[in-house]
Amino acid sequence: MAEAKSTAADERIRNIGPIQRLMARPELGSVFGLILIIIAFVIMTSSAGTFQAMWVNPTGFQAWVELAAFVGILAIAAALLMISCEFDLSIGATIALAGHSFSILALLGVPLPLAILFTFIELAMLGAFIGYIVVRTGLPSFIVTLGFWFASRGFAVFMGQTIFNQSRLSVRPLIQAPAGGGEDPTWIDNVFAFKNAFGLPFDAYVYYFVIIAILTTLMLHKTRYGNWIFSSGGDPEAARAVGVPVARVKITLFMFSACMACLLGIVTVLGSGASDPQAGDFRELHAIAAAVIGGCALTGGYGSVVGAVFGAFIFAIASRGINFVPFIDNNLFRVMLGLLILGAALLNQALRNRVVRG
Amino acid sequence: MGRTPTIEIDGLSKFFGNIIALKDVSFEVYRGEVTALLGDNGAGKSTLIKTLSGVHKPSEGEIRIDGKRVEFNSPRDAAAAGIGTVYQDLALQPLMSVSRNFFLGRELSRGPFLDFTAMDRITREEMAKIGIDVADPSQAIGTMSGGQRQTLAIARAIYFGAKVLILDEPTSALGQKQQLEVLRTIKQVRDRGDLAIIFITHNDLHAKLVGDRFAFLNRGRVLASGDRESIDLDNIRALMAGGAELAELEQEFETG
Repeated sequence: MAEAKSTAADERIRNIGPIQRLMARPELGSVFGLILIIIAFVIMTSSAGTFQAMWVNPTGFQAWVELAAFVGILAIAAALLMISCEFDLSIGATIALAGHSFSILALLGVPLPLAILFTFIELAMLGAFIGYIVVRTGLPSFIVTLGFWFASRGFAVFMGQTIFNQSRLSVRPLIQAPAGGGEDPTWIDNVFAFKNAFGLPFDAYVYYFVIIAILTTLMLHKTRYGNWIFSSGGDPEAARAVGVPVARVKITLFMFSACMACLLGIVTVLGSGASDPQAGDFRELHAIAAAVIGGCALTGGYGSVVGAVFGAFIFAIASRGINFVPFIDNNLFRVMLGLLILGAALLNQALRNRVVRG
Repeated sequence: MGRTPTIEIDGLSKFFGNIIALKDVSFEVYRGEVTALLGDNGAGKSTLIKTLSGVHKPSEGEIRIDGKRVEFNSPRDAAAAGIGTVYQDLALQPLMSVSRNFFLGRELSRGPFLDFTAMDRITREEMAKIGIDVADPSQAIGTMSGGQRQTLAIARAIYFGAKVLILDEPTSALGQKQQLEVLRTIKQVRDRGDLAIIFITHNDLHAKLVGDRFAFLNRGRVLASGDRESIDLDNIRALMAGGAELAELEQEFETG
């Protein structure tokens, strides 16, 4: 048959070996980055006491693991949005808005489980609203979420001041067992903001982080929805032409991003007993930094959750680790972080070009 | 001939306000055959494609598929009726894999997860049917040549139920060697015998090579149409340039 003849030896498709295939993974740069940063900090903390303090003592590694989890949860949301070629600058402010919303509801006497539920609904609606504005108006999400970066925190502070005449809202009495007996509300804290589970000295973030990272990785690479996220960012026109609901995909990702900020906001309040209007400040930039270090392209269509997770660990080790290195001024941390982001972006760009050009 | 055309365009006109984009366009396409639709820029080729694929509604005239009149309100309607349009930009995602592109928007799942085994297998089979052996359907499309991407877009349209394949200038953005690949693909698809192909081009050599029937569009009208016997192939170039105008210009040069 003619068919057999022409397909037998087709020179037009190159074979790609396993090494090249590995080189094409978005998170490759961040794997090297993580190994390098661990080696660097192990060397820098090699004097007797500091190595123990950072890597062995619970309080030492707890500090950077918890930070990685906190930033990592946001970085996962940021990465998914970036893959769909969108951007959410407002997530840091959303943390404060969620914390304040929850605290206000709780202080007004709403039962804690309901307060949590209502806060999630409120924030999911906020995310949907942001997403709707972005897909409907075609404004860059950078601009739209910059607006909410101001508005969300501002609204939280305004509500706190107006209702309770306080900027920092304490809910400690509500989440502690009452001294004189009666109904004990601590169970909600234990369910939602548990600590030291499985004998590990970690805050609840860490467990949420692990679960969310696994679920979103599966979603991104193994489900049709993940396929749609990649195509919405890669070439939205082409995606629409074959029936991908691009607008719906983007709106749900903004909702997811707001819900992740909401989770962190509520867990922070339950953990600390108060809602701070400065909660989550700058975290949106840390999350985006982690996603970029992890190989996400600002131009969309490329990136991974695994990369964002590695990026979050790189950020956290550099961020906390510098306190353990006696001979580096802590003020140099931001300089180091800046160089780290630039270096990672350059490396990732070089790796990404290999995917297309071979 | 007693055969019913797979798609028959009968007296089709399309007006945009006072602009006559298409006027009384008629031609037919049979399964197992390639109808080459030739025309210069501005001849009305893209309006015709968009009307056939459901983007525009015709102002006059009708389209019949297998003898039955059809009306499309959207590209989705046209696709459901069996019209597969492969646009110049192909609607492909360069950073995504071959099989993910093939099934994008129509993914196969097993439970909550994508069925990669089946998608890879089908992609490879369908590509092999039109002459390209994809050794690894999980590699990114960015590594494929322009000709291979055309082939993928064509294979995808066929697999998802096209009876009539509309190819919008599939050779125009390609290098020489890749143009030949695409022409070979078109011939393979024709030889399957079950698809009617409308091949839009402004390259008369390509049209000659794979066309069974020809229709020449000029300023929104069909200037001439027919099969290989009834049409003077050597005249194609002259028709393409607008026949009479060219003769006039020749005259001007001679007298001038």
